[in-house]
Amino acid sequence: MSDPPDGLERPSERAGPWRRGIRRSLPVAILLLVWQLAVGSDLIDRTFLPPVDAVVAALWEMARSGEIWLNLAVSIWRAFTGLAIGSLLGVAIGLAMATSRRADGFFGPLVAITYSLPKSSLVPLFILWFGIGDVTDILTVVLACLLPVIVSTYHGVQAVPALLVWSARAMGTPRHTVLWRVLLPGALLSILTGVRIALGFCFVLTISAEMIAAKTGIGKLIFLYGENGAYAHMFAGLTAVVIVAYGADRALLAAMRHLLRWHDSVHAAHAHAR
Amino acid sequence: MIRICVRDLHKRYRSRDGEVAALAGVDLEVAEGEFVTIVGPSGCGKSTLLYILGGFIGADSGTVAVDGEPVAGPGVDRGVVFQEYALFPWLTVAQNIRYGLEMTGVPRAERSPIVERLIATIGLEGFEHRFPRELSGGMKQRVAIARTLAYDPKILLLDEPFGALDALTRETMQDELLRLWQATRKTVVMVTHDVNEAVYLSERVLVMSQRPGRIVQQFPIAIERSGEREQTILTERFNTVRNEVWLAVRRQAGKGDASERPSAGTS
Repeated sequence: MSDPPDGLERPSERAGPWRRGIRRSLPVAILLLVWQLAVGSDLIDRTFLPPVDAVVAALWEMARSGEIWLNLAVSIWRAFTGLAIGSLLGVAIGLAMATSRRADGFFGPLVAITYSLPKSSLVPLFILWFGIGDVTDILTVVLACLLPVIVSTYHGVQAVPALLVWSARAMGTPRHTVLWRVLLPGALLSILTGVRIALGFCFVLTISAEMIAAKTGIGKLIFLYGENGAYAHMFAGLTAVVIVAYGADRALLAAMRHLLRWHDSVHAAHAHAR
Repeated sequence: MIRICVRDLHKRYRSRDGEVAALAGVDLEVAEGEFVTIVGPSGCGKSTLLYILGGFIGADSGTVAVDGEPVAGPGVDRGVVFQEYALFPWLTVAQNIRYGLEMTGVPRAERSPIVERLIATIGLEGFEHRFPRELSGGMKQRVAIARTLAYDPKILLLDEPFGALDALTRETMQDELLRLWQATRKTVVMVTHDVNEAVYLSERVLVMSQRPGRIVQQFPIAIERSGEREQTILTERFNTVRNEVWLAVRRQAGKGDASERPSAGTS
């Protein structure tokens, strides 16, 4: 597959992967350096911000004791289960809304009023209904992931050219088969963009739900260490989440590039998806 | 035998400026194996007529029948080729051609030989696994025609099939279509605004009026098409018929917006 000669790719993408990697990690390195220097030179009090090396040491200690793995596994499980359920439901609802006036009339107002609601504000209510633990945490994540996927699926399906549906029908595609043979692949870029937004939300919501409604998980760990003033350990927990979330996002991006290799805008997507 | 029969077809569109009559009393009969082309000024409703034949949109009144059966929706007896190709961009060349075979229930074992034969016919060997975005306009249109031929419809409906191609590619594609029709003798209804193309390819050319469209004139095209393109185009006979049709379309175009002119080409 050849690159389109449109010069759309930015200079950094023409450089080799190594130079690109360095260029991309440079801002992070600068941030860490400034952080370390600010704390090391007593510009900022150590009681308010632990130095970078203390955070790394805490992370290492938690990794060796196994404490971080167990909690991380629980959090990842909650986040991804919520993401999976929310995305599947979101695609189904978005598809229904885009293809049926009745579904649009029913779900449209519900989506509109819940869209900007912070889903974490529902956690106390879910605690009342489902108690502390997985159900409450996962449900919060499901709700948060649902909405961006509904909206992106809806717009993606609506943007599929009518001509593609017509030609599918002319070639003998039954009406319901058009949904998954034409509308879903046609809307795939939009759907996966929605899932990518939801992927960001799923970690945010897992951590915030665990802080108040869990006995395990990284969110709970961060909360406990914060309460006890063990800020290096708190930051270590945060760092673990950041690494996992970043890795998951990169993995999804790689999957998107493969799944959408047929797409006209895949090169443009490369330029934007960073 | 009459393959397509259209009687007193009317169609109105709702638009921002109120209702627009697209078709007002179209009558049309196409015989089995005939190649008929409909020409007319832009916006005369000729594509609307083709979409009604395809079963994609319904008429307000009048009847459309294929082999005596009223048309109730799209069907695999009518293969459609669109100007914008309408290939599935997520499927490769081979998968696009195979699609109709899957949908029409051609047994799995028979699909690959058909796909291979068609890819060879359209000269796209080596491009089987390319996606549409990697193809030129002419290649895309070849794939669009091939995927329609794959499931062997009785009728081909062509909506300005070569309108988006450059002049040279267009001529090549016209010759390919002509050879194909001569080999298969499918019933073809084509819509175009290119008078040259219409006369060069079809046995009968129908001229549509300015909107609301009706068929106002028809020209049987009795020219010899067995030889090369030059042998057909450079004859007295071809030019006479071409000019007649061109004048008829021009007269229709002149009745409405004067900026809409049919293109006659320069050969």
